[in-house]
Amino acid sequence: MKPVHILLLGIVLALLALPSFLTPGLVNAAIQMLIAALFASAYYLLCGQAGMLSFGHAAYFGMGAFATIHAMNAIGGTGLLPTPLMPLAGAIGGGAFGFFAGYFSTKRTGTYFAMITLAIAELVHALAPHLKALFGGEAGVSATRMPAWGFTFGSTNEVYYLTLAWVALCLTLLYLYTRTPLGRLTLGLRENTHRLRFLGYNTHGLAICVFVVSAMFSGVAGGLLVVSNEAANYVLFDAHLSASVVLNTYIGGVRVFLGPILGASLMTFFGYAVSDLTQSWLLYQGALFVLVMMYMPNGLAGLFGQIGQWRSRFGLAALIPFVLLALGAGLLVGGGGAFAIEMLQRFLSQDYQALASANAAGTWPPIRLFKHDWSPAAPGTWLVPATLLTAGAGLAVLARQWLRRLVQREESNRAAAEASVPGDAA
Amino acid sequence: MDWLLVSVMNGVVYGLLLFMVSAGLTLIFGMMGVLNFAHASFYMLGAYFAFSLQARIGFWGAILVAPIIVGAVGVVVERYFLRRVHQYGHAHELLLTFGLSFMIAELVKLFYGNYPVNYRIPGSLDFAAFAVGGLDYPAYRVLMGGVAMAMFVLIYLLLTRTRVGIIVRSAIYKPRMAEALGHNVPLVFMGVFGVGAALAGLAGAVAGAFYTTNPNMALELGVMVFVVVVVGGLGSLGGAMLASILIGTITSLSVGIDASLSDLFALFGARQWAEGVGGLLTLKVSSTAGTIPFALMLLILLVRPHGLLGEKG
Amino acid sequence: MSDAILTLRGLKKSFGDIEIIRGVDLDLLGGERHALIGPNGAGKSTIFHLISGNIAPTAGEIMFAGKQIGGAQPQAINHLGISRSFQITNIFPRLTTFENLRLAVMRAHGLQYNFWRLVDNNRRVREQTERLLEMVRLQARADSIAGEMSYSEQRSLEIAMTLASDPRVILLDEPMAGMSRDETEYTSNLIREVTKGRALMIVEHDMDVVFSLSERVSVLVYGQVIATGTPEEIRRNASVKEAYLGEEVAA
Repeated sequence: MKPVHILLLGIVLALLALPSFLTPGLVNAAIQMLIAALFASAYYLLCGQAGMLSFGHAAYFGMGAFATIHAMNAIGGTGLLPTPLMPLAGAIGGGAFGFFAGYFSTKRTGTYFAMITLAIAELVHALAPHLKALFGGEAGVSATRMPAWGFTFGSTNEVYYLTLAWVALCLTLLYLYTRTPLGRLTLGLRENTHRLRFLGYNTHGLAICVFVVSAMFSGVAGGLLVVSNEAANYVLFDAHLSASVVLNTYIGGVRVFLGPILGASLMTFFGYAVSDLTQSWLLYQGALFVLVMMYMPNGLAGLFGQIGQWRSRFGLAALIPFVLLALGAGLLVGGGGAFAIEMLQRFLSQDYQALASANAAGTWPPIRLFKHDWSPAAPGTWLVPATLLTAGAGLAVLARQWLRRLVQREESNRAAAEASVPGDAA
Repeated sequence: MDWLLVSVMNGVVYGLLLFMVSAGLTLIFGMMGVLNFAHASFYMLGAYFAFSLQARIGFWGAILVAPIIVGAVGVVVERYFLRRVHQYGHAHELLLTFGLSFMIAELVKLFYGNYPVNYRIPGSLDFAAFAVGGLDYPAYRVLMGGVAMAMFVLIYLLLTRTRVGIIVRSAIYKPRMAEALGHNVPLVFMGVFGVGAALAGLAGAVAGAFYTTNPNMALELGVMVFVVVVVGGLGSLGGAMLASILIGTITSLSVGIDASLSDLFALFGARQWAEGVGGLLTLKVSSTAGTIPFALMLLILLVRPHGLLGEKG
Repeated sequence: MSDAILTLRGLKKSFGDIEIIRGVDLDLLGGERHALIGPNGAGKSTIFHLISGNIAPTAGEIMFAGKQIGGAQPQAINHLGISRSFQITNIFPRLTTFENLRLAVMRAHGLQYNFWRLVDNNRRVREQTERLLEMVRLQARADSIAGEMSYSEQRSLEIAMTLASDPRVILLDEPMAGMSRDETEYTSNLIREVTKGRALMIVEHDMDVVFSLSERVSVLVYGQVIATGTPEEIRRNASVKEAYLGEEVAA
């Protein structure tokens, strides 16, 4: 067994055991994580493997969701399919709309393709509230999970296992897809569409196929969300959902299959964990994305790969100080940034401004943050994030110097080795 | 008839505004091959900066200073963000600007709140320019159109009649050659990026007061600008102009049309059937005005995939 | 020699006001090796682009096996049995050499829309890919990233990809550019070997290769064919000497 198989087995076992350790609220968060992971993986097929950047993937997710909710409500509420098979309706809904949108958008490539996907998603978003029969207007559509196959689907745990089964199945299928002829051609599409044509491939047809597969699995993700929530609303078509799948996928990294899954699970988990603590989660998400795009273009998964590569190049002992320095820098910068943003957010909030103007002129009431009271007028308050950020930047510089030294040492070692075997160099 | 005239005028003004933003986008795309997703964010920043400045230096001062600040933001984005990731390719640059647009929207929400701000036309400008069929036509709309027109004339003259303009154009079409001739092409890129951003900022500062200034305005306008660019043909200033006016007018006209597809079917005696089907067929054109540009875009893609004035290939 | 398999008649191509191909008549006979030579800018690559469907002709016709193919889609032309290589290396840079070639091989096996079988399990595709790799001496580089190989290795890969679909007509655009003496000789023999029973049209600047490899040569100057004949006839042709070969042949 390879280490990656052991890791996967461990993850699956952990996921199976999860509900017995968690509160229903956390199980619910786990369901959201699974759905986000599947959605990101379906998106990755299009952007990472086929090299087609879609900025409107919420459309297929949403279509899958609405197809599922209508399937649940069909035949007087008994449902078109037994509950465990409901996400199939999502696959069909997402795939069918994906075919329509894909036909248009894959007529162009690159930047044009990106803009068209965005415009189609906005078209759906603008039209949906007007089509009451289909999308239920402002209120949306709701449905009930029916018992099937001896399960009531009344508890969160049962929904969790259903979601887990679907996500595991879909991720396996998506992985196997990469090993099929169409899956290999998908990579060819990313690498050199022009050449594929001269090898006799209909690249428009290929692109539509890939688009439909991606939309179909996005639709399954949407369907799973509906099965879990028992409701769907046109807000699902919001540009925000499209953006978050892009962000999650690239934060995770698009060079390896597990990257987007990692990114989406992590980001969804953090989003859930900090939702009570901050109102600026989206800002953190955006900032993290920008940082990843600028400093680690291969995402978090790429970072692990890079560290693994360095370890075999420089040795673990030499690398530990670097990892510690980099980790310290990350923590300090993150802490300083979070402090500044949270302070600003509280300071600029309507509530606080109203409170301040009600107060006597010239005095600012203290702001409570991290279990302390801070006065926004005191320079010390703003010195905290400034110090943290500066210290973080300092550590980052040190980490970089350390890495440079490792590279230099390696080079001088190699030069010495080459010098000692003169015959080899020639 | 008066209604038609007013609608067309409104549409043209909105179209000119769209062009002000899409012109910068087109210039930057032509030059760097990068679609700047954050371009509409510059438009939004223009409106918010002008709103903040208005209280201190007055409306006209704000209209003048806000674009300069936005231009500076644009320069920073080009110099410290885009240039850094240039090595990873265009898709990466597009994604970075996408992330920046997302972040700018969130920052705006942080500083100004997630609701429209009270940015209005000053009272001194809130009067009627003339009346059409008993309806007053606001002078401010005329002003917006005027600012946009003045901008184009200026840019056109700058690009065609000045030394700087010639260098810029050569850097756009043949960056390597321009560099070989001793011109500082990165500086030109930075400059054009800044000017494009400032232009969008100016559009925002002027339009924000008339329409609404809220954190969603970048996305709303941005999508419309992308539609303009696809319809007009990417990289073509003339196409951008044509598509802007076309989309502005169509949007404005459709708001006033109180008919639906079922009326069309009525011509063939199929109204009953159409109304029975419902859904899209009974939707009033007026209520879906916002979606018509997208439908136009799909149509263009079907019949003329390279846009109205776009070059093939 | 048999009848013409590919016929160009009055072929013209203009870009804007500039006419690049100014009425070309050319026959490629079934099973022959035909070289297309001419000075830079004569339009050799443009002719390849026209035949392979990369661009559409302005006027004139391109007949392949009795069918008019001018302006058809590249993939349709490839399906009929015309395969080409590119002057500027045109591969899948971030995929392995094996993967590059396998993509080319798969097409002939009708696997374009296959998503229910694992490609690794397809023995015929794998064996053909390996055979082609061996043929162009790249078997040791099967797992290398194609974009990181040397230029001449990429040229070899390009040739192998062109051969993968078992075409009736092969168009090779400067296949030996950038190769060493030894590689050129090997590739020249390889081309002779693999084009048996097929028609070959080759653009090449190495005159030794052209005259030793081809059975007929056409000379293209300023978008027109000024002469067609056996290598001997071309060597002796006065107008060819004047227009193009000049001292090269004399030397």
